[in-house]
Amino acid sequence: MQVTLKNFTKTFDDTTVIDSMNLAVNDGEMLALLGPSGCGKSTTLFAICGIHRINGGQILFGDRDVSDVPSQKRNVGVVFQNYALYPHLTVFENIAFPLSVRGDSKPDIEREVRAIAALTHIEELLARRPAQLSGGQQQRVALARALVRKPDVLLLDEPLANLDAKLRLEMRSEIRRIQLETGITAILVTHDQVEAMSMCDRIAIMNKGEILQIATPTDMYRAPVNKFVAGFLGNPPIVMLEGRTSGDGRFLVKEGTSLPLPARLAGMPGDTPLSLGVRPEHFGAAGANRVEGTISFVEPQGRETLFDVTLDDGVVLRSIQPARDDVVFGQKVVWPLDAEKLLAFDVSGRAV
Amino acid sequence: MRTRTSLLGLAFVSPALALLFAFFLMPVVLTTVFAFTNMSTSTGITGGSHVITGNLLRDLGNAGVDDDIVAALSEGSFSVTPETLAAAAEAGVEPRFLGEIESSLMGQSFEDARSFESALKALPSRPTRIRDLKLATEPFERSILNTRYSSRAAMETAIASMVPDAPVDTVSAIAEASYTGWRWIDGGNFQTLLDRPETIRIVLNTVFYVAATLAFNVFVGLFLAITTFYLPKTGAGFFSVLWLLPRITPVVLYAVMWKWFTWDNGFLYVIAEQLGLPAFNYMKGSVPTAWATIILVNGFVGASFGMILFSGALRAIPVQQLWASEVDGASRWQQIRRIILPQLRWPILFVTSYQTLSLLSSYEQIWLTTNGGPGSTTTVWALEAFNTALNNYTGNLEYGMGAAMALILVAVGLILSILYLRMFRFDELVNKPRIEF
Ligand SMILES: Nc1ncnc2c1ncn2[C@@H]1O[C@H](COP(=O)(O)OP(=O)(O)O)[C@@H](O)[C@H]1O
Ligand SMILES: [Mg+2]
Repeated sequence: MQVTLKNFTKTFDDTTVIDSMNLAVNDGEMLALLGPSGCGKSTTLFAICGIHRINGGQILFGDRDVSDVPSQKRNVGVVFQNYALYPHLTVFENIAFPLSVRGDSKPDIEREVRAIAALTHIEELLARRPAQLSGGQQQRVALARALVRKPDVLLLDEPLANLDAKLRLEMRSEIRRIQLETGITAILVTHDQVEAMSMCDRIAIMNKGEILQIATPTDMYRAPVNKFVAGFLGNPPIVMLEGRTSGDGRFLVKEGTSLPLPARLAGMPGDTPLSLGVRPEHFGAAGANRVEGTISFVEPQGRETLFDVTLDDGVVLRSIQPARDDVVFGQKVVWPLDAEKLLAFDVSGRAV
Repeated sequence: MRTRTSLLGLAFVSPALALLFAFFLMPVVLTTVFAFTNMSTSTGITGGSHVITGNLLRDLGNAGVDDDIVAALSEGSFSVTPETLAAAAEAGVEPRFLGEIESSLMGQSFEDARSFESALKALPSRPTRIRDLKLATEPFERSILNTRYSSRAAMETAIASMVPDAPVDTVSAIAEASYTGWRWIDGGNFQTLLDRPETIRIVLNTVFYVAATLAFNVFVGLFLAITTFYLPKTGAGFFSVLWLLPRITPVVLYAVMWKWFTWDNGFLYVIAEQLGLPAFNYMKGSVPTAWATIILVNGFVGASFGMILFSGALRAIPVQQLWASEVDGASRWQQIRRIILPQLRWPILFVTSYQTLSLLSSYEQIWLTTNGGPGSTTTVWALEAFNTALNNYTGNLEYGMGAAMALILVAVGLILSILYLRMFRFDELVNKPRIEF
């Protein structure tokens, strides 16, 4: 089921949280709503499932306008950030709830609950109560409850935020597996770029109630539309250098260093103010340009090692490389810079 | 070291123990003690003395004591003894005459005034005036009737001197019956209660009163809590305060308000009159309206108590659960019935049990409004106990009987508490909020 937001506007009292947002989620797709805390992701999600009434625009499920349909009738499954399981009901009763309020027969309920429990691997937990479950198990139950009546859309609000690191990794692939197996259209709200990139077909990145870019994770990483997106994606994050073009295909960092510009920007007139983004993987691996500096920080991460390199004039570049211990703190290095991969942004932050 | 810490601990808890003893245990202990006595205003609560009264003699006669003995006890007798002689000397009887009485009549007794007088007339120095003679007999009169004896033995001696030929056990039974203080009567009060025809009526009244008021408390409390929960925030605060009014109004004022509301020419009366409906004193004029008044008066106080507890519990339910149930397809009613009410189970049970206990022992509002009337149709156990022990019209307050009635309330309350504790496991209630989401 395709989900479309047209000029969706939401205000709380006098504060406009979302102003005229447009978004289309394709049938069977898993889309991430990615953005920092407080940017309006949950608000968007709650508007889609009908918990919040919208103040303007339209919400379409397929061709059907559901803007004024109460949440009971929208047939969406929602997994809340804190799971919102019913503490007085067993796992079975929790999952059966959407079916039993609909008035399904006992055998039907039994069959559907067992099927969804098998899909989410919680068959042996059905008799327990939520309080007797671990965070990951509660998460699976919440997912099963959201999916049991075969909703048109699955909405997940920060589903992994309350889990520990290992479980988060496990549930990341589990949720994706279940989404792929059911083929359901899903919207995942998250502030974690790794989650968004690893789980979703496309990412809609938001800031301050506005969608900045919608793209596949790879495209978005490779070609962010603006500085905010470039900074939000990537771990370790991109290094932004402020400066001006020289006019002859180079970039003068305001501290003094001169770096090459990618070939596509070589023709830019001189003295144009720019921000140049250098991702750590594009420094120290390959490229025609050599940059000299001193190692000022070393962070071994197991498979990889992260370095900070301070250039003569004080500019700091970051480099991530396959683990190596031949380079130590304070050492002088001359490393290659892949100029073609550099990202450039104009004064308004737009990519050029 | 260990003993020191435990001593210290004891020192710390001793004020609490003292309070517990003084204010919780002592009343129950005293009630229990009183319940097995016949204490009343007439017996007093300290010891008494031994007196034979006219009433007692009548009772003794009815109880089968020999008529002769009763008659003998009711009469005075005249005897010449050193004591009576001394009393006569004191009273100013002429010494020569006294000397003659002493020498010729010492140790004699006379059954009535006439025979004693004729014996005196035989003496040489007798007074010439008949009136002086009668006056002279008075100090010799010994009557047991209405004379106080401080001990039982003294009473027995007195009886024996009046009726020397009475059997010993009769004498001791009469002496026993003449005791005016309170005494142990074992289960006498309870037997009396069992035998009284009003008892069953009062028990039924109490059950009805507690059940109906409780139902009103819980249902109205729930209704108010849930409706204010769904109300916009601004209105909810106002309504909460409004419903608290019965609770924070002093009880007497509250009762007066109800009187004004239901009495002759009161608010309801005037409205009913305008509408052509039966207008009378609703509080005391008919049994159904009297009951309705009592249940409403107490009901609103309890309902606001329930509402506060229920509202708090409602607000403790995470809003996401309510959202979840809505997207799961639950209607408002299904949400209330299947998500909210089950989670209010503990507060509901708490209000039920707490209110049962407090309603069982409450009478103030009834006393201040219908005062158990019309007749005794709305008299409940606690009110009856209060009237018996502390508020009797005839002025004879039956402490013992009142205590017995109170003791029954305490026992019922205890049994109910244990049942409630068993059924609802209050420890779990206290631990409940551990589950977090
Ligand atoms: N019920 C509400 N009333 C008022 N403001 C709200 C409400 N819910 C959210 N907001 C505001 O809307 C903005 C977006 O919130 P939200 O959608 O929860 O952000 P997030 O992206 O972290 O999920 C925040 O500034 C928040 O304070
Ligand atoms: Mg959120």
